[in-house]
Amino acid sequence: MFRNSYDSDNTTFSPQGKLHQVEYALEAVKQGSAAIGLRSKTHAILLTLKRSTGELATYQKKLIRIDDHVGIAIAGLTSDARVLSNFMRQQAMSSRMLYGRPIPVARIMQGIADKAQNNTQQYGRRPYGVGFLVIGEDETGPHLFEFSPSGTSFEYYAHSIGARSQSAKTYLETNFESFEDADLPTLINHGLTALHDTLQQDKHLSNLNTSIAIIGPPAPAAEGEDNVSSSGAAKRGSFRTWENAEIEGLLRAWRRSRGEPEEGPQEAEEAERLKRDQETHAGAGGVGVPAAAGGEAEGEGAASGASAGAAGGAPAPAAGSEDVNME
Amino acid sequence: MSSIGTGYDLSVSTYSPDGRLFQVEYANKAVEAAGVAIGLKCTDGVILATERLLHSKLLVKGANRRIQSVDDHIGMATAGLLADGKHLGSRAREEAGSFRENYNDPITVQILADRLSGYTQAYTCYGSVRPFGISTLVAGVDKTGPRLFCIEPSGVHYGYRATAAGKGKALAKTELEKLLGAREGGIGVKEGVDEVARIIHLVHDDNKDKDFELEMTWVCEASGWKHAAVPQELLVEAERKARAALEEGMEED
Amino acid sequence: MNHHPGAWGQPLPAHAQFDMFNPGQSYRQAPKAAPITHTQQPLVTGTSVLGIKYEGGVMLAADNLASYGSLARFRDIQRLHPLGKQTVIAASGDMSDFQWLKKELDSILREENGLSLTDSHPSLSPQHIYDFLANLFYARRSKMNPLWNAMLVGGWDNKKNESFLGFVDLLGTTYSAPTLATGYGAHIATPLLREAYEDKAGIDGKGPLLTAEEAEKVLADCMKVLFYRDARSINKYQTATVTSEGVKISDSKSVETEWGFAESLRGYGAQNQ
Repeated sequence: MFRNSYDSDNTTFSPQGKLHQVEYALEAVKQGSAAIGLRSKTHAILLTLKRSTGELATYQKKLIRIDDHVGIAIAGLTSDARVLSNFMRQQAMSSRMLYGRPIPVARIMQGIADKAQNNTQQYGRRPYGVGFLVIGEDETGPHLFEFSPSGTSFEYYAHSIGARSQSAKTYLETNFESFEDADLPTLINHGLTALHDTLQQDKHLSNLNTSIAIIGPPAPAAEGEDNVSSSGAAKRGSFRTWENAEIEGLLRAWRRSRGEPEEGPQEAEEAERLKRDQETHAGAGGVGVPAAAGGEAEGEGAASGASAGAAGGAPAPAAGSEDVNME
Repeated sequence: MSSIGTGYDLSVSTYSPDGRLFQVEYANKAVEAAGVAIGLKCTDGVILATERLLHSKLLVKGANRRIQSVDDHIGMATAGLLADGKHLGSRAREEAGSFRENYNDPITVQILADRLSGYTQAYTCYGSVRPFGISTLVAGVDKTGPRLFCIEPSGVHYGYRATAAGKGKALAKTELEKLLGAREGGIGVKEGVDEVARIIHLVHDDNKDKDFELEMTWVCEASGWKHAAVPQELLVEAERKARAALEEGMEED
Repeated sequence: MNHHPGAWGQPLPAHAQFDMFNPGQSYRQAPKAAPITHTQQPLVTGTSVLGIKYEGGVMLAADNLASYGSLARFRDIQRLHPLGKQTVIAASGDMSDFQWLKKELDSILREENGLSLTDSHPSLSPQHIYDFLANLFYARRSKMNPLWNAMLVGGWDNKKNESFLGFVDLLGTTYSAPTLATGYGAHIATPLLREAYEDKAGIDGKGPLLTAEEAEKVLADCMKVLFYRDARSINKYQTATVTSEGVKISDSKSVETEWGFAESLRGYGAQNQ
C-alpha cells in the first residue's frame, strides 16, 4: 500500500535522511490553486486564483487578513489554513495588546513555522497540508514570506505556490529585479501576468476567479477611487483585498498594458457558449457532456468533487475546450 | 545499505541485531545534505560561519539566516533540517533564560551544550519522536574563555578548537587541522574570519552546488563580547581574499 | 509543609500575566492551607525620580538612596536602568519590585536582541516598553497585587526621531509630559521643571527646548530642593540621558547646599530645648 516502508509516518527518516511524510505534505500544497506574491520597496501584494466547485457554488476565498499589517494567501488544505491563520491572529493581537506593537512579520512567520515543525517530529500527528504566502509591513518595510509544511519560512522578492505555480515562477525569476522600484500598478500587472501563466490553456483571469491583496500606500488611480475611498484599510495603507466587481478596473488596466481588448475574452466566449448551447439543443444532446473540466483534477483540499467528477465522468470532447465552471 | 528492508531501521526505539540505531544514522544523512557550518575557537574569541545554500534566486539577499543567538554571549549554527535548527534554537534560548532566572548569571557554553545534548538525546529514546536532523555548533565566550561545542543527532557533544558539520565537513575539518596545526599558539579572530571564509569558499563546489551566501558571526572584543554578525565590510573583504586565494590555488594545480 | 522545591511559589513571568488565550490555565496554584497574601506596603523604598525633555534627548535623575522606612538604609543604589540602546527606566517605590522588574525586562530585551540577529528587526522602542509596563502594572493592580512603584520611562525613538517621556505607577495610571516627576517630587519639583521648560519653550511647548547643560542645571536645582525638603532623599544622585546616540548614565554627583539658616531651627543644631 505504501510506496516504501519509510513513508508511513512522520517520525521516520528514510535511509537518505528524508522525511517522506513532510514531502507528501508539500504535494498537498501543490493541489491547491495558485497564489502569487510580489514585493517592491513600498508595497507587497498577493494574487490568487480562486476555484469554485460548481456553477451553484461560490468561489473559495484564498486571502485571509491577519492584522492591519499582515495578510496571507493560502494553497492546500483550507481547514489547516484556518487553524494556522487563527493562531497568527492570536499572535498578532497578543503583540498589539502587550507592547502596542504590530508584530514583526518575521516573528509571526517563525511562530507558525515552529508550530509546523512540531508536527513533523512527533508520532500521531501529520504535517500541515497547507502553504502560505504572507505579506506584511513592519518597522523594516514591506515583506513577502513563504510558509511551508516542513516548518520553514523564507523571505522572497517574489514567489508563487500552488498548482502550476512553476510557470509563474519562471516569469517572476526573469522579471523580479525590476520589482524593487516598481510602482503599485506595475507590480500588480506583473502579478497578474504571472497568475495568468498558471492558468490552463484557454482559461482567463476574470473578476470571478481573481483576487488581489495589497499592503502599502493606496493608489486610488490604480485601485479605483471608489474602492479606496470606501475602504478604511485602503486609506490607511493596511491590508486590503479586491475581488469581484472591485477588481474589474485592475484587470482592465492589465489587459490594456498587454494590448488586449479591455473587456477581456469573456464576451467572445459568452457568444460562443450561447452558440454552442443552441447547437446542443438543436442536436438533441448527441454527446451527453457538453464540456468538462480541462482534465487536470485539482481540488481545493477535499473539495475536488466537481472537476474530478467531471474528468472522471467522460472524456471531454475535443471541441469543448473551455470550462463551464470558470467563466 | 544492509539496514534497508530489515525492519530494524523504522523506529528510533529499535536496535538492530548488531546494536545500531539506524534512525539516528539516517538523521545524520539529513545533516550531510546541508550546507556546511564551521566553528573556530580563536585566542581572543570564537567564530561561527555557514554556507547558506540558495534554493531560489527569488530569495531576499541576506535574509533567511541560519545562525541564531542564544544569549548575549553565545551563538549557534545548525546544519541539517532548517526547521529542526530553529526548534533547538528556541530551546537553547529557554535554557539560557532559565539559567539566568535561577542563578542570576549567564549560562556557560559548556552547560548549555550539555543541556542541549541531553534534550537532543531524549529524541533518540522514544518511538513517538524522531531524532533531530541537525548537527549544532554552539560557540561563545564565557567566564572560562572562548568555547566551542558540536552536538550531533545522537546527542553526543564534544568540545573543539575548530570543527565543521554538513556537506563537505571532512574537507573543511582537514583544512581546519592544517590551519591550527601550523599555528602553535592558536589564531586570532581577525585572521580567523579570513580563514573561515576561505575554507567555506573552498568547500563549496561551484559546479555542483547551488549558489550560496556566506554568513558569519563572532564573539570577541570587537563585538563587545556579544554574539553579533561580523561587520559587512570585514566579510566582503574576507570573501574577496578567499576568492583570490582559491584562484591562486587553481593556478598552482 | 511540602518541602519539595517544585511546590515553592514562583513569581509569574511578566509576559504570562496577560495570557488571554489560556484563561482556564493558572500558572500558579495557590497553597491550599494558607490564605493568599499580597504586598500591603513597600518595604525598601526609593524616593522621587525626575525627567525632562531637552533639545535632542531626554534626561532623568534619581538619587542613590534606598530607605528602610525612615532609615537611610542603602546609600549606593542605582535607580536608573538602561533597557537596550534607546530607553532608560527610573524607579521610585519598592526596590525589590524594581529589581524583579529589571530582571524581567532585561530578559525580554535579551530575547528581542537574540531574535534580531536572525531577522534584523529592531528591538522594542521606548513606547513599546512603556506600553508593556502600563499593561503589567495595571494587570498586577487588578489582581490586588501591585508592583509598588512609580516609574518614569525616558527614551529616544529612532523611527520618529523624537524623545519619549512617560509615567506609570502602581495603579496602572499613565501620562506623558515634557517634564515629569514621581512621589514627593511630583509636588515639589514639577513646578520648577515646568517653569524652566516653559521659560524657553513657551506654554505651548513650541519654542526651543533647553540645552543639555540647561536641563542638567534644572535637574540639579530640583534635586537640591528635594534634598532640602524630602526626608527620604540624600545628596547623591545620578542622571541618565538618552539621545539618538544612545544611553548614558552618569557617575554619582551631589549639589552644593547651605544649612546655615537651620541653626536657629528647633530640633536642629546645638540647642538644648
